[in-house]
Amino acid sequence: MLTMRDTHTAFDTCHPSVPATYFAAIILIAIFAMQPVCVCVSLAGGLAFSFAARGWRRTLGGLRWQLPVVALVAVANPLFSASGSTLAAQLGSVAIYQESIAYGACAGVLLVATILWFEDAACVLTQDRLLQLGARALPTVTLVTSMAAQLVPQLMRRSQTVRTATLASTAAAPEGSRERGIRVADQLMSWSMEDSIERSDAMRARGWGAMDRRSCYLQDPFRTSDALALLGIALLAAASALLVYVACSQWHFYPTMPRLVAWWGYLPYAALTLLPTVLDLAQRVRWGRLS
Amino acid sequence: MNALEYADVSFTYPATDTEPSPSPVLEHVSLAVPEGAFALITGSTGSGKSTLLRLAKPEVAPTGTLGGNVLAFGRDVRTLSSVESAQTVGLVFQSPDSQIVCDTVWHEMAFGLENLGTPVPEMRRRVAETCMFFGMEPWFRRQTANLSGGQRQMLALAATLAMRPRLLLLDEPTSMLDPVAEKDFLAMLFRANRELGVTVVVATHAPEPMRDVATCAFRVEDGHVRELSLGEAVDACAFRPDGVVSASEGVAASGSKPALSFRDTWFRYSRDADWVLRGLDLEVPEGEVTALVGGNGSGKTTLLQLACGTLAAQRGRVSRPHAASQAYLLQSPRAILSAQTVREELLLWSNGAGYGEAEVAEMMERLGLEGVAARNPLDLSGGQQQLVAFAKVLLTRPDLLVLDEPTKGLDAVACTKLARLVQELREEGRSVLLATHDLAFVSAVADSVSLLFDGGVTCTERPDEFLAGSWLYHA
Repeated sequence: MLTMRDTHTAFDTCHPSVPATYFAAIILIAIFAMQPVCVCVSLAGGLAFSFAARGWRRTLGGLRWQLPVVALVAVANPLFSASGSTLAAQLGSVAIYQESIAYGACAGVLLVATILWFEDAACVLTQDRLLQLGARALPTVTLVTSMAAQLVPQLMRRSQTVRTATLASTAAAPEGSRERGIRVADQLMSWSMEDSIERSDAMRARGWGAMDRRSCYLQDPFRTSDALALLGIALLAAASALLVYVACSQWHFYPTMPRLVAWWGYLPYAALTLLPTVLDLAQRVRWGRLS
Repeated sequence: MNALEYADVSFTYPATDTEPSPSPVLEHVSLAVPEGAFALITGSTGSGKSTLLRLAKPEVAPTGTLGGNVLAFGRDVRTLSSVESAQTVGLVFQSPDSQIVCDTVWHEMAFGLENLGTPVPEMRRRVAETCMFFGMEPWFRRQTANLSGGQRQMLALAATLAMRPRLLLLDEPTSMLDPVAEKDFLAMLFRANRELGVTVVVATHAPEPMRDVATCAFRVEDGHVRELSLGEAVDACAFRPDGVVSASEGVAASGSKPALSFRDTWFRYSRDADWVLRGLDLEVPEGEVTALVGGNGSGKTTLLQLACGTLAAQRGRVSRPHAASQAYLLQSPRAILSAQTVREELLLWSNGAGYGEAEVAEMMERLGLEGVAARNPLDLSGGQQQLVAFAKVLLTRPDLLVLDEPTKGLDAVACTKLARLVQELREEGRSVLLATHDLAFVSAVADSVSLLFDGGVTCTERPDEFLAGSWLYHA
């Protein structure tokens, strides 16, 4: 969340409102589309972009805990909700139905797909781009966010330093780990307080509070191409949302599930979910490194 | 016209419970810095240099009773509006860590101009020109948290200059930097002075590196300020280790087991990182003072942390016979200061290390800390904090004392006191390992110097031999 843009990927050259709108739309649709084909499309899109933008190592690392979540929800659901009509198994007095397992699996996939989309969004909408979105309207909020973003890593580094200091001098070795924790926290607190005094001096020396209204360095380079991209995404998202709504309204898990059929109506949604991956791949192809 | 002028200025801090009638810090000070000058305000730690400087910037001036007038370009600074003040007088502080406000370099550069409500085109132009002047384009989009101390201090200077002040005040701007970063910083400050015509006033206790660029010097002593020649100002602040027995004259216990030894030590911070130490061998003889020198990032601090056992080597053997009685002084003294007063701070480890009030009183007297016994350690200057931290580790009488840049931020007087105490430890047969850039200190206290380069020890020699054969280092 606090890292700078380290990947060059989809929407790199757009105004940040374009990826922001895209991810808002895709996450909204993904949350409400509780239908087997739709959740699979959403998962496929989220995974594909995660591989493309975040790399296979981080994606697989995430799947290590995400796949068990799917399995867990799929198993847990039929134990708690005994609905459905096709008996799959009987555990003592508990009846387990196929429909219930399908519902659980579907919910698990939906959950993981949504998490993936959030991770993808965080990868594209880095902090500096989010700031650019809010900078004009909320300059002070932007500044506070910016300050916090530099203080957190500093605090982490310092806690390491303080820990080293207390561990390295034998006379300082505290009796228990709880006491050590308190001492480290105490030390960090006084260090940060002291720093904040000097920082506020540095801020006032540079005219903090001199004017009622601060100006903002970031420009708002919203161009026609951004407007067109936004319009395209909005249209595609609206069409997908409508068709996904139709698909969901014709689907039900209980008491029995209808047969899934091939339907053109899934195509716009698939196109929407695969859009950033396609953009990313196109960039890679252009730079001649498909690997 | 004078860029900065003090006319009969006196200043007294407000009375406190511990000091009901404080004596004035500055008495009838009159001085004038002409426009375009590069002026040095020298004096020992705590002599009132910072107070003098801050009085020219009412936004950060200390509270107290001020008599007389402080004029910037002929106008009393107290009559300047805060916008005028920010555009006329810039102030750069000591600590590279605490004066950075924003998370990215570009935001930090723009911060001051945003505060003044500068129109966007004008602001972007000023930021761009300042960056070009400083050659900061390669790191313009980087995070400030990932910059080195030298880069952060350079950024603080650039961010202040982006507001285009005509007078720039700097309060010990390089005392937290290593010599290489200090040179870079001063070179840039000099260019700002000569090419941009900014009047520069630097408060410092170590004017030597600025001798060639400065145009005039003042000395603050006992509340009075006098103008003196650059040579005199540098000499008055020079470190003269009188009374410190030169280490190489003493007889060291030889042949015994080393106090610390590294054999074929390999270390890196993560699997993908480069090796910091590559098969390093080093012995710290028992009862001697061993100094480590080397460039930035040569692994000095890493080596010290391995010596203390807070890091573990991936390969090789580190033998630490004194693991049960050791002390480590980090580069940032704040990491071990937490009590409310200096006295409490020094008593904090008394139970674990078996010393008492008497020893604390004696140590405070020896380091000249009696005057600040009742003050909060974090309110003290950087140099005084360093002394308190040093006193704190020294009171534990460790068999092995590990020091990281012990003289950073210290004035000559404090350096001499430190050297004496290190010598005393050695006479008691205790071992000291220290990493430093300060060769004058090394030649005053150390028995041997090891040069660290490319992850290994390049040579180990006596300090006089080392200096005689060195192309780069001078005492």
